[in-house]
Amino acid sequence: MTKDLETKFLSELDKHQNIIHKVCRTYTNNDAAHKDLFQEITIQLWSAYPKFRGESKFSTWMYRVSFNTAISLYRKNKRNIETTPLLENKIDLEFSEYNDKQDRQLDLLYKAIHSLNDIEKALALMYLEDKSYEEIALTLGITEINARVKMNRTKTKLKNILNP
Amino acid sequence: MNQLKNMKELWRQQETETLKFSKDELQGMMRQRSSSVVKWILIISILEFILPNIFFLFTDFEASREFNEKYGLTNMVNIYLGIHLVIILVFVYLFFRNYRNISADTSVKMLMQHIISTRKTVKYYIYYNLTIAAIIGFHMFYEVFNSKAFLTTLPEKTNIALVWVISSVLFVLVLFVLWCIYKLVFGYFLKKLTRNYQELEHAG
Repeated sequence: MTKDLETKFLSELDKHQNIIHKVCRTYTNNDAAHKDLFQEITIQLWSAYPKFRGESKFSTWMYRVSFNTAISLYRKNKRNIETTPLLENKIDLEFSEYNDKQDRQLDLLYKAIHSLNDIEKALALMYLEDKSYEEIALTLGITEINARVKMNRTKTKLKNILNP
Repeated sequence: MNQLKNMKELWRQQETETLKFSKDELQGMMRQRSSSVVKWILIISILEFILPNIFFLFTDFEASREFNEKYGLTNMVNIYLGIHLVIILVFVYLFFRNYRNISADTSVKMLMQHIISTRKTVKYYIYYNLTIAAIIGFHMFYEVFNSKAFLTTLPEKTNIALVWVISSVLFVLVLFVLWCIYKLVFGYFLKKLTRNYQELEHAG
Protein backbone atom coordinates (compact mmCIF):
# COMPACT_ATOMS: atom_id res chain seq x y z
CA MET A 1 0.00 0.00 0.00
CA THR A 2 2.74 2.44 1.02
CA LYS A 3 4.75 1.30 -1.97
CA ASP A 4 1.83 2.04 -4.29
CA LEU A 5 1.37 5.43 -2.72
CA GLU A 6 5.06 6.17 -3.13
CA THR A 7 5.09 5.14 -6.78
CA LYS A 8 2.02 7.22 -7.51
CA PHE A 9 3.44 10.21 -5.69
CA LEU A 10 6.81 9.93 -7.44
CA SER A 11 5.26 9.85 -10.86
CA GLU A 12 3.08 12.92 -10.09
CA LEU A 13 6.07 14.70 -8.59
CA ASP A 14 8.20 13.91 -11.61
CA LYS A 15 5.52 15.07 -14.00
CA HIS A 16 5.03 18.41 -12.24
CA GLN A 17 8.53 19.06 -10.92
CA ASN A 18 8.89 22.15 -13.11
CA ILE A 19 6.38 23.89 -10.80
CA ILE A 20 8.71 23.38 -7.84
CA HIS A 21 11.70 24.55 -9.87
CA LYS A 22 9.90 27.77 -10.73
CA VAL A 23 9.00 28.36 -7.07
CA CYS A 24 12.60 27.62 -6.05
CA ARG A 25 14.03 29.94 -8.65
CA THR A 26 11.61 32.63 -7.47
CA TYR A 27 12.55 32.34 -3.80
CA THR A 28 16.29 31.58 -3.96
CA ASN A 29 19.18 32.98 -5.89
CA ASN A 30 21.79 30.26 -6.08
CA ASP A 31 21.92 26.59 -6.98
CA ALA A 32 22.67 25.30 -3.49
CA ALA A 33 19.69 27.12 -1.98
CA HIS A 34 17.52 26.11 -4.93
CA LYS A 35 18.28 22.45 -4.33
CA ASP A 36 17.85 22.83 -0.59
CA LEU A 37 14.43 24.43 -0.95
CA PHE A 38 13.45 21.86 -3.60
CA GLN A 39 14.26 19.09 -1.15
CA GLU A 40 12.29 20.69 1.69
CA ILE A 41 9.27 21.16 -0.62
CA THR A 42 9.53 17.51 -1.67
CA ILE A 43 9.60 16.40 1.98
CA GLN A 44 6.60 18.58 2.82
CA LEU A 45 4.67 17.32 -0.23
CA TRP A 46 5.36 13.72 0.66
CA SER A 47 4.37 14.14 4.29
CA ALA A 48 1.12 15.91 3.29
CA TYR A 49 0.37 13.51 0.41
CA PRO A 50 -1.66 10.94 2.41
CA LYS A 51 -4.13 13.77 3.15
CA PHE A 52 -4.41 14.75 -0.51
CA ARG A 53 -7.86 13.65 -1.57
CA GLY A 54 -7.84 14.85 -5.12
CA GLU A 55 -10.46 17.53 -4.43
CA SER A 56 -8.18 19.94 -6.22
CA LYS A 57 -5.77 19.20 -9.04
CA PHE A 58 -2.41 17.79 -7.98
CA SER A 59 -0.68 20.82 -9.49
CA THR A 60 -2.90 23.25 -7.53
CA TRP A 61 -2.23 21.39 -4.33
CA MET A 62 1.47 21.36 -5.18
CA TYR A 63 1.48 25.15 -5.56
CA ARG A 64 -0.04 25.59 -2.12
CA VAL A 65 2.45 23.32 -0.37
CA SER A 66 5.37 24.80 -2.34
CA PHE A 67 4.44 28.40 -1.46
CA ASN A 68 3.87 27.48 2.17
CA THR A 69 7.28 25.87 2.35
CA ALA A 70 9.04 28.73 0.57
CA ILE A 71 7.27 31.51 2.49
CA SER A 72 6.81 30.14 6.01
CA LEU A 73 8.54 26.83 6.58
CA TYR A 74 11.88 26.98 4.82
CA ARG A 75 14.81 27.98 6.96
CA LYS A 76 17.53 29.58 4.93
CA ASN A 77 20.92 28.00 5.30
CA LYS A 78 23.89 30.17 6.04
CA ARG A 79 25.37 29.42 2.67
CA ASN A 80 22.43 31.19 1.09
CA ILE A 81 23.46 34.63 -0.09
CA GLU A 82 21.02 37.51 0.26
CA THR A 83 19.24 38.51 -2.92
CA THR A 84 20.81 41.24 -4.94
CA PRO A 85 17.92 43.26 -6.27
CA LEU A 86 18.16 46.13 -8.69
CA LEU A 87 18.21 46.20 -12.39
CA GLU A 88 20.00 48.73 -14.40
CA ASN A 89 19.00 47.87 -17.91
CA LYS A 90 15.69 48.64 -19.41
CA ILE A 91 14.26 45.45 -20.75
CA ASP A 92 13.33 45.32 -24.34
CA LEU A 93 11.67 42.16 -25.49
CA GLU A 94 11.69 40.74 -28.93
CA PHE A 95 10.18 37.36 -29.15
CA SER A 96 11.17 36.47 -32.65
CA GLU A 97 14.67 35.63 -31.52
CA TYR A 98 15.04 32.40 -29.60
CA ASN A 99 18.56 32.64 -28.36
CA ASP A 100 20.74 33.70 -25.45
CA LYS A 101 18.95 36.99 -25.37
CA GLN A 102 15.84 35.20 -24.23
CA ASP A 103 17.72 33.57 -21.37
CA ARG A 104 19.13 36.93 -20.41
CA GLN A 105 15.68 38.44 -20.37
CA LEU A 106 14.38 35.62 -18.25
CA ASP A 107 17.27 36.22 -15.85
CA LEU A 108 16.30 39.86 -15.62
CA LEU A 109 12.69 38.90 -14.98
CA TYR A 110 13.76 36.62 -12.12
CA LYS A 111 16.01 39.35 -10.75
CA ALA A 112 13.06 41.74 -10.81
CA ILE A 113 10.91 39.17 -9.00
CA HIS A 114 13.66 38.72 -6.39
CA SER A 115 13.27 42.32 -5.31
CA LEU A 116 9.60 41.79 -4.44
CA ASN A 117 8.54 40.68 -0.96
CA ASP A 118 7.58 37.05 -0.27
CA ILE A 119 3.84 37.52 -0.85
CA GLU A 120 4.36 39.57 -3.99
CA LYS A 121 6.67 36.87 -5.32
CA ALA A 122 3.84 34.35 -4.99
CA LEU A 123 1.45 36.77 -6.72
CA ALA A 124 3.91 37.43 -9.57
CA LEU A 125 4.46 33.73 -10.10
CA MET A 126 0.74 32.99 -10.17
CA TYR A 127 0.20 35.88 -12.59
CA LEU A 128 2.86 34.52 -14.94
CA GLU A 129 1.30 31.08 -14.66
CA ASP A 130 -2.08 32.57 -15.63
CA LYS A 131 -3.88 31.43 -12.49
CA SER A 132 -7.44 32.60 -11.91
CA TYR A 133 -8.19 35.07 -9.11
CA GLU A 134 -10.28 32.38 -7.47
CA GLU A 135 -7.29 30.04 -7.30
CA ILE A 136 -4.94 32.82 -6.17
CA ALA A 137 -7.36 33.78 -3.38
CA LEU A 138 -7.70 30.16 -2.28
CA THR A 139 -3.96 29.53 -2.32
CA LEU A 140 -3.15 32.62 -0.27
CA GLY A 141 -6.22 32.40 1.97
CA ILE A 142 -7.49 35.90 1.20
CA THR A 143 -10.63 37.21 -0.51
CA GLU A 144 -10.80 37.51 -4.28
CA ILE A 145 -11.17 41.30 -4.02
CA ASN A 146 -8.08 41.47 -1.86
CA ALA A 147 -6.24 39.24 -4.34
CA ARG A 148 -7.14 41.60 -7.20
CA VAL A 149 -5.96 44.66 -5.27
CA LYS A 150 -2.70 43.00 -4.33
CA MET A 151 -2.17 41.68 -7.85
CA ASN A 152 -2.55 45.15 -9.36
CA ARG A 153 -0.10 46.56 -6.88
CA THR A 154 2.39 43.77 -7.58
CA LYS A 155 2.08 44.19 -11.34
CA THR A 156 2.70 47.93 -11.07
CA LYS A 157 5.68 47.33 -8.82
CA LEU A 158 7.11 44.72 -11.18
CA LYS A 159 6.64 47.04 -14.13
CA ASN A 160 8.41 49.85 -12.31
CA ILE A 161 11.36 47.60 -11.53
CA LEU A 162 11.57 46.47 -15.13
CA ASN A 163 11.45 50.07 -16.35
CA PRO A 164 13.47 52.09 -13.88
CA MET B 1 0.85 46.28 -19.03
CA ASN B 2 1.82 44.99 -22.46
CA GLN B 3 5.34 44.33 -21.34
CA LEU B 4 4.08 42.09 -18.54
CA LYS B 5 1.99 40.16 -21.06
CA ASN B 6 5.16 39.60 -23.06
CA MET B 7 6.77 38.38 -19.90
CA LYS B 8 4.08 35.74 -19.63
CA GLU B 9 5.10 34.51 -23.05
CA LEU B 10 8.74 34.44 -22.02
CA TRP B 11 7.78 32.62 -18.84
CA ARG B 12 5.90 29.95 -20.75
CA GLN B 13 8.84 29.32 -23.01
CA GLN B 14 11.42 29.04 -20.28
CA GLU B 15 13.53 25.95 -20.35
CA THR B 16 13.01 23.97 -17.22
CA GLU B 17 14.74 20.96 -18.66
CA THR B 18 18.18 22.24 -17.65
CA LEU B 19 17.30 21.62 -14.03
CA LYS B 20 15.46 18.38 -13.78
CA PHE B 21 15.90 15.74 -11.14
CA SER B 22 15.66 12.05 -11.98
CA LYS B 23 13.11 9.85 -10.22
CA ASP B 24 15.90 8.33 -8.15
CA GLU B 25 17.03 11.76 -7.01
CA LEU B 26 13.44 12.69 -6.17
CA GLN B 27 13.00 9.50 -4.19
CA GLY B 28 16.21 10.23 -2.28
CA MET B 29 14.95 13.71 -1.45
CA MET B 30 11.53 12.67 -0.19
CA ARG B 31 13.18 10.30 2.28
CA GLN B 32 15.30 13.03 3.85
CA ARG B 33 14.30 14.58 7.12
CA SER B 34 12.71 17.98 7.20
CA SER B 35 14.70 20.90 8.54
CA SER B 36 11.79 23.31 8.51
CA VAL B 37 11.05 26.15 10.87
CA VAL B 38 8.31 24.06 12.48
CA LYS B 39 10.82 21.53 13.70
CA TRP B 40 12.82 24.30 15.33
CA ILE B 41 9.69 25.77 16.83
CA LEU B 42 8.95 22.41 18.45
CA ILE B 43 12.48 22.06 19.85
CA ILE B 44 12.64 25.64 21.14
CA SER B 45 9.13 25.42 22.59
CA ILE B 46 9.86 22.20 24.48
CA LEU B 47 13.00 23.85 25.88
CA GLU B 48 10.95 26.85 26.90
CA PHE B 49 8.46 24.60 28.66
CA ILE B 50 11.22 22.88 30.57
CA LEU B 51 13.68 25.71 31.30
CA PRO B 52 11.61 27.82 33.70
CA ASN B 53 11.22 24.74 35.89
CA ILE B 54 14.57 23.10 35.46
CA PHE B 55 16.19 24.91 38.37
CA PHE B 56 14.08 22.77 40.67
CA LEU B 57 16.24 19.83 39.69
CA PHE B 58 19.37 21.59 40.88
CA THR B 59 18.03 22.85 44.18
CA ASP B 60 19.03 21.19 47.39
CA PHE B 61 15.68 19.62 48.35
CA GLU B 62 16.65 19.11 51.96
CA ALA B 63 17.86 22.68 52.34
CA SER B 64 14.75 24.18 50.79
CA ARG B 65 12.55 21.94 52.94
CA GLU B 66 14.36 23.22 56.01
CA PHE B 67 14.11 26.80 54.79
CA ASN B 68 10.36 26.42 54.18
CA GLU B 69 9.82 24.89 57.60
CA LYS B 70 11.89 27.52 59.33
CA TYR B 71 9.82 30.35 57.88
CA GLY B 72 6.50 28.46 57.89
CA LEU B 73 6.24 28.31 54.07
CA THR B 74 5.63 24.58 53.59
CA ASN B 75 1.85 24.76 53.06
CA MET B 76 2.04 27.78 50.82
CA VAL B 77 4.75 26.23 48.61
CA ASN B 78 2.82 22.96 48.25
CA ILE B 79 -0.37 24.74 47.20
CA TYR B 80 1.50 26.82 44.61
CA LEU B 81 3.29 23.72 43.31
CA GLY B 82 -0.03 21.89 42.82
CA ILE B 83 -1.61 24.81 40.95
CA HIS B 84 1.55 25.27 38.90
CA LEU B 85 1.62 21.63 37.75
CA VAL B 86 -2.03 21.71 36.67
CA ILE B 87 -1.48 24.93 34.72
CA ILE B 88 1.62 23.51 33.00
CA LEU B 89 -0.39 20.49 31.86
CA VAL B 90 -3.09 22.78 30.44
CA PHE B 91 -0.45 24.76 28.51
CA VAL B 92 1.22 21.61 27.15
CA TYR B 93 -2.17 20.34 26.00
CA LEU B 94 -2.98 23.65 24.26
CA PHE B 95 0.46 23.74 22.68
CA PHE B 96 0.18 20.30 21.11
CA ARG B 97 -3.38 20.96 19.98
CA ASN B 98 -2.18 24.04 18.10
CA TYR B 99 1.00 22.33 16.92
CA ARG B 100 -0.93 19.52 15.30
CA ASN B 101 -2.87 22.06 13.25
CA ILE B 102 0.31 23.19 11.48
CA SER B 103 0.14 21.74 8.00
CA ALA B 104 1.67 22.77 4.70
CA ASP B 105 -1.58 21.65 3.14
CA THR B 106 -3.61 24.74 4.11
CA SER B 107 -3.70 28.21 2.58
CA VAL B 108 -0.66 30.44 3.07
CA LYS B 109 -2.52 32.65 5.54
CA MET B 110 -3.96 29.75 7.50
CA LEU B 111 -0.54 28.14 7.94
CA MET B 112 0.85 31.42 9.26
CA GLN B 113 -2.08 31.73 11.69
CA HIS B 114 -1.45 28.23 13.01
CA ILE B 115 2.27 28.82 13.49
CA ILE B 116 1.63 32.16 15.19
CA SER B 117 -1.00 30.72 17.54
CA THR B 118 1.29 27.81 18.44
CA ARG B 119 4.04 30.24 19.35
CA LYS B 120 1.51 32.38 21.23
CA THR B 121 0.75 29.45 23.52
CA VAL B 122 4.42 29.42 24.48
CA LYS B 123 4.41 33.21 24.83
CA TYR B 124 1.52 33.10 27.30
CA TYR B 125 3.24 30.23 29.09
CA ILE B 126 6.34 32.38 29.58
CA TYR B 127 4.22 35.34 30.75
CA TYR B 128 2.43 33.03 33.14
CA ASN B 129 5.75 31.80 34.53
CA LEU B 130 7.01 35.34 35.09
CA THR B 131 3.73 36.31 36.75
CA ILE B 132 3.60 33.27 39.02
CA ALA B 133 7.28 33.81 39.88
CA ALA B 134 6.45 37.39 40.88
CA ILE B 135 3.43 36.30 42.97
CA ILE B 136 5.27 33.50 44.75
CA GLY B 137 8.37 35.66 45.18
CA PHE B 138 6.53 38.55 46.82
CA HIS B 139 4.39 36.21 48.90
CA MET B 140 7.59 34.57 50.16
CA PHE B 141 9.19 37.95 50.90
CA TYR B 142 6.10 38.87 52.87
CA GLU B 143 6.08 35.64 54.90
CA VAL B 144 9.85 35.67 55.53
CA PHE B 145 10.13 39.37 56.38
CA ASN B 146 7.32 39.01 58.89
CA SER B 147 8.56 35.81 60.48
CA LYS B 148 10.14 35.83 63.91
CA ALA B 149 12.94 33.61 62.64
CA PHE B 150 13.98 36.32 60.16
CA LEU B 151 13.40 39.38 62.32
CA THR B 152 15.58 38.07 65.11
CA THR B 153 18.53 37.66 62.74
CA LEU B 154 18.39 41.29 61.64
CA PRO B 155 20.76 43.78 63.25
CA GLU B 156 19.00 46.31 65.46
CA LYS B 157 17.55 49.45 63.89
CA THR B 158 17.42 47.83 60.45
CA ASN B 159 15.00 49.66 58.24
CA ILE B 160 12.60 46.91 57.11
CA ALA B 161 11.20 49.15 54.37
CA LEU B 162 14.67 49.37 52.87
CA VAL B 163 14.99 45.56 52.96
CA TRP B 164 11.72 45.41 51.04
CA VAL B 165 12.79 47.98 48.46
CA ILE B 166 16.19 46.38 47.76
CA SER B 167 14.78 42.85 47.55
CA SER B 168 11.92 43.94 45.31
CA VAL B 169 14.11 45.93 42.93
CA LEU B 170 16.60 43.07 42.53
CA PHE B 171 13.82 40.54 42.04
CA VAL B 172 11.96 42.64 39.47
CA LEU B 173 15.25 43.24 37.66
CA VAL B 174 15.85 39.50 37.32
CA LEU B 175 12.30 38.98 35.98
CA PHE B 176 12.76 41.88 33.55
CA VAL B 177 16.01 40.40 32.17
CA LEU B 178 14.29 37.03 31.67
CA TRP B 179 11.42 38.76 29.88
CA CYS B 180 13.85 40.60 27.56
CA ILE B 181 15.69 37.38 26.69
CA TYR B 182 12.41 35.74 25.86
CA LYS B 183 11.24 38.65 23.69
CA LEU B 184 14.45 38.34 21.67
CA VAL B 185 14.01 34.60 21.09
CA PHE B 186 10.34 35.03 20.18
CA GLY B 187 11.04 37.94 17.84
CA TYR B 188 13.88 36.11 16.12
CA PHE B 189 11.68 33.19 15.17
CA LEU B 190 8.60 35.09 14.13
CA LYS B 191 10.04 38.22 12.53
CA LYS B 192 9.75 37.10 8.91
CA LEU B 193 6.48 35.31 9.51
CA THR B 194 4.83 38.27 11.21
CA ARG B 195 5.95 40.57 8.39
CA ASN B 196 4.48 38.28 5.75
CA TYR B 197 1.30 37.82 7.74
CA GLN B 198 0.81 41.57 8.01
CA GLU B 199 1.40 41.88 4.27
CA LEU B 200 -1.46 39.43 3.67
CA GLU B 201 -3.71 41.10 6.24
CA HIS B 202 -3.50 44.55 4.64
CA ALA B 203 -6.32 44.83 2.20
CA GLY B 204 -4.82 47.44 -0.06
